Amino acid sequence: MANHNISRRTLLTGTAAAGALSLTGLPARAEVNWKKYAGTKLEVILAKGPRGDNLQKNIKEFTELTGIQVESEQIPEQQQRQKVVIELTSGRPSFDVVHLSYHVQKRQFEKAGWLADMTPFMKDPALTAPDLVESDFSAAGLQYAKNDKGQMLSLPWSVDYFILYYNKELFQKKGVAVPKTFDEMVAAAEKLTDAKDGTYGFVGRGLRNANMTLWTNFFLNYGGEFLDAKGNILTDGPEAIAATKLYQTLLTKVAPPGVAGFNWMESMASFTQGRSAMWIDGVGWAPPLEDPAASRVVGKVGYTVVPAGPKGQYSATYGDGIGIAAASKNKEAAYLLCQWVVSKKQGARLLQAGGGVPFRNSILNDAEVQSGVKMPKEWLQSVIDSAKISKLGLPVVIPVAEFRDLVGAALTSTLSGADPATELKKAHEQYRPILERSEKA
Amino acid sequence: MTPSQFKPSQIEPSQINPSQINLRQIVGQIGLWLSVLVIVSPAILFFLWMASLSLKFEVDNAAYPPVFIPEHFAWKNYADVLASNRFLTYFVNSLIVTGSATALALLVGVPAGYGIARMAAHKSAIVILIARITPGLSYLIPLFLLFQWLGLLGTLVPQIIIHLVVTVPIVIWIMIGYFETTPMELEEAALIDGAGRWQVFRHVALPIARPGIAVAFILAVIFSWNNFVFGIVLAGRETRTLPVAVYNMISFDQLSWGPLAAAALIVTFPVLLLTVLAQRQIVAGLTAGAVKGG
Amino acid sequence: MSALTQSAPAAAQSDAAPEKELRPPSYWPFVVPALVVVLAIIIFPWVFTIWMSLNEWKVGAPTTFVGISNYLRLTSDPRFLEAVGHTMVYTVLSVVLPLILGTLSAVVFHQKFAGRGFLRGIFIMPMMATPVAIALVWTMMFHPQLGVLNYLLSLVGIPAQLWVFHPATVIPSLVLVETWQWTPLVMLIVLGGLAAIPTEPYESAQIDGASFWQVFRFITLPLIMPFLFIAGMIRMIDAVKSFDIIFAITQGGPGSASETINIYLYSVAFTYYDLGYGSAIAVVFFLLIVALAAVMLYARQRMLWTEIARGA
Repeated sequence: MANHNISRRTLLTGTAAAGALSLTGLPARAEVNWKKYAGTKLEVILAKGPRGDNLQKNIKEFTELTGIQVESEQIPEQQQRQKVVIELTSGRPSFDVVHLSYHVQKRQFEKAGWLADMTPFMKDPALTAPDLVESDFSAAGLQYAKNDKGQMLSLPWSVDYFILYYNKELFQKKGVAVPKTFDEMVAAAEKLTDAKDGTYGFVGRGLRNANMTLWTNFFLNYGGEFLDAKGNILTDGPEAIAATKLYQTLLTKVAPPGVAGFNWMESMASFTQGRSAMWIDGVGWAPPLEDPAASRVVGKVGYTVVPAGPKGQYSATYGDGIGIAAASKNKEAAYLLCQWVVSKKQGARLLQAGGGVPFRNSILNDAEVQSGVKMPKEWLQSVIDSAKISKLGLPVVIPVAEFRDLVGAALTSTLSGADPATELKKAHEQYRPILERSEKA
Repeated sequence: MTPSQFKPSQIEPSQINPSQINLRQIVGQIGLWLSVLVIVSPAILFFLWMASLSLKFEVDNAAYPPVFIPEHFAWKNYADVLASNRFLTYFVNSLIVTGSATALALLVGVPAGYGIARMAAHKSAIVILIARITPGLSYLIPLFLLFQWLGLLGTLVPQIIIHLVVTVPIVIWIMIGYFETTPMELEEAALIDGAGRWQVFRHVALPIARPGIAVAFILAVIFSWNNFVFGIVLAGRETRTLPVAVYNMISFDQLSWGPLAAAALIVTFPVLLLTVLAQRQIVAGLTAGAVKGG
Repeated sequence: MSALTQSAPAAAQSDAAPEKELRPPSYWPFVVPALVVVLAIIIFPWVFTIWMSLNEWKVGAPTTFVGISNYLRLTSDPRFLEAVGHTMVYTVLSVVLPLILGTLSAVVFHQKFAGRGFLRGIFIMPMMATPVAIALVWTMMFHPQLGVLNYLLSLVGIPAQLWVFHPATVIPSLVLVETWQWTPLVMLIVLGGLAAIPTEPYESAQIDGASFWQVFRFITLPLIMPFLFIAGMIRMIDAVKSFDIIFAITQGGPGSASETINIYLYSVAFTYYDLGYGSAIAVVFFLLIVALAAVMLYARQRMLWTEIARGA
């Protein structure tokens, strides 16, 4: 094992020298020289999930194309985030390419300067295929990938829109129409709830931290904005209180018992068992819902956009990107890999399997790609419709985790009867100094 | 738990008035077996349920009322775990880390337990206890930086070293307790005969303590084998131990209770096997203690 | 009865005897290697942790020396203070329940019956199994709608519980798992103690016509005290630091109803990456455990002395 490492390290330094040479003598060629970094070895750290699967399954194609060897591994999201941060802090990460969660890590990575700037690579025709242009990424993607100075620090990989899943069979049985607004949704959920029967109108994340992704969709539709022009947090204002009241109503009156401890997994369990009629969560759960080995509601699931609130209709949006560690010695080769990861071919595969939604419009709107989607048509339609009303679902600040924990805990306490306004105020009293401390540093 | 349940078997039957024996013995036996049943059933039921989970497809696993024995067994849950890449590597890694950490812990811990017991130097035991008291999380960042600086990351050495934090205190504590109960007479006699302290330890104390060492060994192995917090940060792709690898198998995008339960049983299996094999050793140790007392 | 009370101090005295006769420091060479190993592994992390705790250090930002301000922040951090309370409740329950149940189980397993070895093997399986995996299976069992526990309760007519999904029941439910898992450890330690008890006291008790409870209270309990003490100590330290189970089942929730110091420490250090503050929590947490251990040691010392005094 030690030998293996040493050989890798010598190899790395060798290729780094080669990379430096090539950068200075840049020829103005119109075609990508894919083979230029053949023999380079890249290390990739991935968060576990369909995106990582899609990369690992097809990585041989990339190696054939470029001659670059790729070693990759998937780690569960939470540990991956920790490991990545610890290694990047140490200044000598063991990986060249990193999979990041924008909604949690964007500001942190930018401030720490952990990612390499891709802007020059994207302008270099010897490195970038002509179809990869900034304008092809959706607005949310660019918002995530670019820093204040307009540098591209990563390539937007997969976007996660919140949508409404509903159980058509239960809706039919009770003669309920698919809700278009929050008011209709509450009314529908009340009709669909039959506690004696063990079925409930609505299910969603109640667990602290996880629940924020659901709540912010309510917040946005009540017209909420996370930050004012000076960067002050606004999530305890009237919109937030209204959103919390809706959240409280849904999760205490028409949701299964114990929902305060539910994450997406428990919510999904309840939905796939046909015990909850509506579920609002990320767009990526269609494959398990349509898998007969994991679900009792195959073919009965309806997919649509999140109902409108009084002040608008949005789909809370989150996303993943793929970036290059600033400390990597193989930045060009790593860039080729990032480019391949978000390529049309790979993006199409991801979408067609229902494992994620590419940020690139040229993929999402391609009729041929669309026709190959294995999920129900309604699902694809909900994705396309959500893209039009997409809005970032969490404030773009460094202490996102603290925000999710503190405000999330406040939401959870409202589920055992606490007053929304009081709880939000208390949480923000704790959160404001944390935000100040980290943003001024 | 009424007294009558235990009294008959607690006391030698030969000393009890014969006319009372039969009824009291029968009642006692029934009570004893009922208590055994009550005590053992939580463990039995849990592991049976776990086995059931590991053999069911997800549809059955999330069903209500629960399905105990499914129509179709999901053997693929096990096949998936065993077929996952590098399973053997992770298994070997676990063996090396746990084996080395336990062996080293016994090497330094058994003499230490002896020394502390004989000196009644409980203050030095406290120093060693500090390692056990320190929150595991606070080792992680400093040691990660240290091992990186030493260039040891990517090998199993960091994990073996950090696992000593778990195994050494356990061994010492068990051995202190054990040596405190072993008789002094033989050792004193040997000392009077002119034997050195190391000789006494080696030839008199150690053989008597063998059952205690077995218990210390088993506990050290368990704690080391099951530890996964350290591995998350210190282990890389090639150096991961089995529990960490299995934890990483927990899929993000589906309810994977079947495969998870299968993986958990596979991870646990070596430790359970060890227990079964060493069961005799433990019992022998306990019997030796009882004989010595009598 | 007089025979009973005399036999206990006799054992205590023979325990204390070596202290007087074999005081010379010649046993130190036995202890030194272990001390060196342990100190070598823990000194650097400790120095580093204490140094970090005196700095404002958030990952990705420069460090600045801030003296004790991280510690001052602790005193006014409601989440930390709440976590201390949760830790105390959790620890007390997770020490007392396994000690009681473990002792009772040890008494049962001390009897002779067919298949004892096998059943004892099964009994100690919970502590053998990997905690994280065990915890995840429990999570499934606790599920209020689909979980097997509520199904079992419904069979005997008890209404469905929310278990770890309600702030009021979450800590007791977690303690249930902890107890299930660690009662065997107490049982093993106490069983070792029972096996070491001489049979004479029992014989004299028999002659005196003592009841089971008297035998247990006046012979067994005092003689296994050292073992109970060790078991309690190990249990206390493990329970205070309990992490895997709480983290895997509730991550400190619902809300922050089961957030113990260790879980909070984890969040601060590895989710908020506030290493300075996290280190300060680690230091205070450590001191707290030391204080608890000291109280227990003091209690044991006092107990020994009262035993000896009573015998003299």
